[in-house]
Amino acid sequence: MLDKRSLLRGSIGAGVAGMAALASVKPSEAAGDSGPIPVGAALPMSGLSAADGIEFKNGLELAASEINAAGGVLGRKIEIHVEDTKDMGADVVSQSMQRLVDRYSVPVIINGYNVGTNMVEMDVAADNDIIMMHANTLISHNEKFKTNPERFYGSFQMDPPEFYYGPGCLSFLNDLIKDGKWKPANKKIAIIPSSVEYAVVIANAMRNQAQKYGFEVSLFETVGFPTSQWGPTLAKLRQDPPAAILVTHFLPQDLAQFMLQFTPQPTQSLIYMQYGPSLPAFRQIGGQAVNGVIYSTVIGCLPDDFSADFRKSYREKFGPGAAYITGSQTYDALWKWALSAAIAGGAGKPFDKDQAKKVSHAIKQLVYRGVSGVQRVDPDGQSAYCYPTQVSDPSLGMPHQFLQHQDYKSDPKLIAPALYATDKFVLPPWIK
Amino acid sequence: MSASTLIAILTAGLTNGAVYALATIGLSLVWGSLGMLNMAHGALLTLGGYAAYTVVTTYGLPAPVGFVGGIAAGALAGAILYGAVVKHLLKQPSETFETNVLIATVGIGIALENTILLVYGGQPFRQPTSMDGLLRIGVTSVPVQDIVIILVSLLMMGVVGWILARTRMGRAIRATAQNREAAQLMGVPIRRVYLQVLMLAGALAGICGVLVSSITQLSPSLGGDPMLKAFIMCVIAGLGNLPGAVASAFGLALIEAFVQFGAGARWGFPVLLLIVILVLIWRPTGLFGRAAIRRL
Repeated sequence: MLDKRSLLRGSIGAGVAGMAALASVKPSEAAGDSGPIPVGAALPMSGLSAADGIEFKNGLELAASEINAAGGVLGRKIEIHVEDTKDMGADVVSQSMQRLVDRYSVPVIINGYNVGTNMVEMDVAADNDIIMMHANTLISHNEKFKTNPERFYGSFQMDPPEFYYGPGCLSFLNDLIKDGKWKPANKKIAIIPSSVEYAVVIANAMRNQAQKYGFEVSLFETVGFPTSQWGPTLAKLRQDPPAAILVTHFLPQDLAQFMLQFTPQPTQSLIYMQYGPSLPAFRQIGGQAVNGVIYSTVIGCLPDDFSADFRKSYREKFGPGAAYITGSQTYDALWKWALSAAIAGGAGKPFDKDQAKKVSHAIKQLVYRGVSGVQRVDPDGQSAYCYPTQVSDPSLGMPHQFLQHQDYKSDPKLIAPALYATDKFVLPPWIK
Repeated sequence: MSASTLIAILTAGLTNGAVYALATIGLSLVWGSLGMLNMAHGALLTLGGYAAYTVVTTYGLPAPVGFVGGIAAGALAGAILYGAVVKHLLKQPSETFETNVLIATVGIGIALENTILLVYGGQPFRQPTSMDGLLRIGVTSVPVQDIVIILVSLLMMGVVGWILARTRMGRAIRATAQNREAAQLMGVPIRRVYLQVLMLAGALAGICGVLVSSITQLSPSLGGDPMLKAFIMCVIAGLGNLPGAVASAFGLALIEAFVQFGAGARWGFPVLLLIVILVLIWRPTGLFGRAAIRRL
C-alpha cells in the first residue's frame, strides 16, 4: 500500500528526471525552429475574476523562469504572452486566443479558467492545430471532446471536471457522520448555486445523488453571479434549518459576505463552500466569521513538503498575499507541457498538426506529479482523473482536497483525503 | 411568514434601496442639471471606496477619517473630470455635447477602473471603514452597518435636497437645469455650476463607494453593479428626476428583496428589468418624468 512518504519520493524522482530530460536533448536536433517559444495565455486580467487572472499569470511566469533556468525546452527559452479576457464569455475568449495565434504564433495556450465560454477554447485550438490546456473544471469539456476526439486532440483540462465535487462532497459528509465527528440534527441539505455552469453542474450532481447518500434536499436556491446580498436567502435557511448548507457559488468575496451575514444568527448547519475559500481574499474579508467553513477543490497546491519550495518561491516573487493555490494550476500545466514538448521533440507551431499531435500524445502518456498532485489524463474526455471518487490509486489521480478554516489568521487545514490530510476536522464554532 | 423573516427581508430591501438611492442621486443630479450621462460614475464610486481603505490601512487613521477621505477623493475626481474633460466639451455645440460627454466618460470610467486594478491589484479587500455589531429588533437582530447605511443615505438625500432648494448654489443649479443658455444670459456662472455639480456628485459617489464596499468588498469592478442599478432607477423614475429616483430606488429594492425571497434569489434582477420594460412601454418618460422637462 502506498503511503505519503513513498508517494512523494516517487514524485520528486519524476520531477528531477523531467528536468534532466528538458536539458539533455540537443536543441538543434529536435527543434525545427530557434529563438524563444511563445506560450500564450488568455486570462481574465481585469473584471470580476482579475484576482485569479493575475495569479494564473504569476504561475506561468514562475514556471517559465524555472524552465528557462533549467535550459528551456530543447534549448529554447519560453516567452509568455497574455491576452486579457476581461469579464470572459465565448466571444472575448475566442478572440483573445486567436490574437495569440495570429500575433505570436503560439503553439500552446495555457489558460487558468474562463467563465461562460461554452468551451469555445477547444474550437480555437482545433482550428489552429495548437495545444490548449485549461482549468475550467467543466464536464462540458469531456462531453465536447467525446463528440469528435480526432478534432479536439489538442485540448486538455488539467483538473477533474466539476461533476466530481457532487458525489465527493456527499461522501465526505457521510464519512464525518460514520466516524462520529458530526452528529446532524436531521439529514436535510440546502444547495445554493449561482447562475454559472460550474456552480449549477456541481449543485445538480449534489441534488441528483443526495438520496443515494441518504440526504434530503430541503432548499435549492440559485443566486445571481456575482452576489453579495444574502439576506433573502438566509431568511429561507433560517426558516427551515438544514444539517448542511452547500454553497456552490465560488467567488471568494461573495462567500465571505455569506459568512459575515450568516454568523450573527447562525443555524446549526455545517457549511461547505466551493473553491473561493481557498483564496486569501476569503479570509481577509470574512475574518473570524470564516472559522469552521469547509471547502473543497479538485485542483490546488497541496500543503506538503513537495510543494514547499514552490510556495516559498511564489510568495517571495509575488508578495506575501499572493494566492499560490491559484497560480499552482498554470504552474503545473506549463511544466507538464514543457516536458511533453521536449519528449515530443519540439513545441511545434500553429497548423503543424503532426507535431501538435506528438505533443498531445506525450501529454496523454506522461503522468505528472505537480504541486497540485498527480495529473494523469483520462482518455475518455481528456480531463485529469479524480482521486478518490474516480480512481482509488492516489498515484493516478488528482486529489479532491477537503480543507477547513480553523483559524482565519493562518492557512486552512487539509482534512481529507486521509492520505494527504495534515489536520483533523473540528466542529464549527456556531454548532453547539 | 414570521416576524424575523419579514424584518430580514425589509432590512435587505431597505439597505439595498439606500445604496441604490445614493448611487442614483449622483447620477440623476448630473443628468438633470447638466444634461450629462456620467458613465464614469461607477468608477468614481470605486475610487471613493479605495480612498477610504487607503486612509485607514496605509495611513492608520480612524475609520471616520477614512470616510471623509472617500468623500474628498470623490469630490476631487469630480473636479478633475470637469477640468480635464467636461470644460473642453462644453465649448462644442450643445447638440453634440450629450453624446460626446457620454463617450468620453465611458473611456474615463474604464481608464480609472484599470488604474485602480494596476495600483491595488485584483484581489478583493475588506472595507475597514465599517461598523460591526448587531441591533436587536424584536425577535431578531439587524447588522448595525445596515442601519448606518440607511441613515447616512437618508441624511445625504436631505443635504442634497436642502442644497438644491435653499441655497444660492442650488438656485443656480436649478436655473441651469431649466435652460442653460437662459441661465447664462441671466448671469449664472455656468462653468462654476458644472464644476460644483460634478464635485457634489463625485462626493456622493465617494460616500456610496464606502457604504457599498462595507457590505460587499472592495474590488476594481465595485462600481459596476450600483451604476447599473442606478441607471435602472433613473430610467424608471424619469432621467433627471431626483425625488422620483429616490422613491424608485427604495421601491424597487424592496420589490427585488421580496421577489428574491418568494420566487428565488435569481429572479430579483430579471424582475427589475421586466419592470423597466413595462414602465417604458406604459410611460416612455418614466414614472415621474415629463417629456423634454428636467426637474430638480
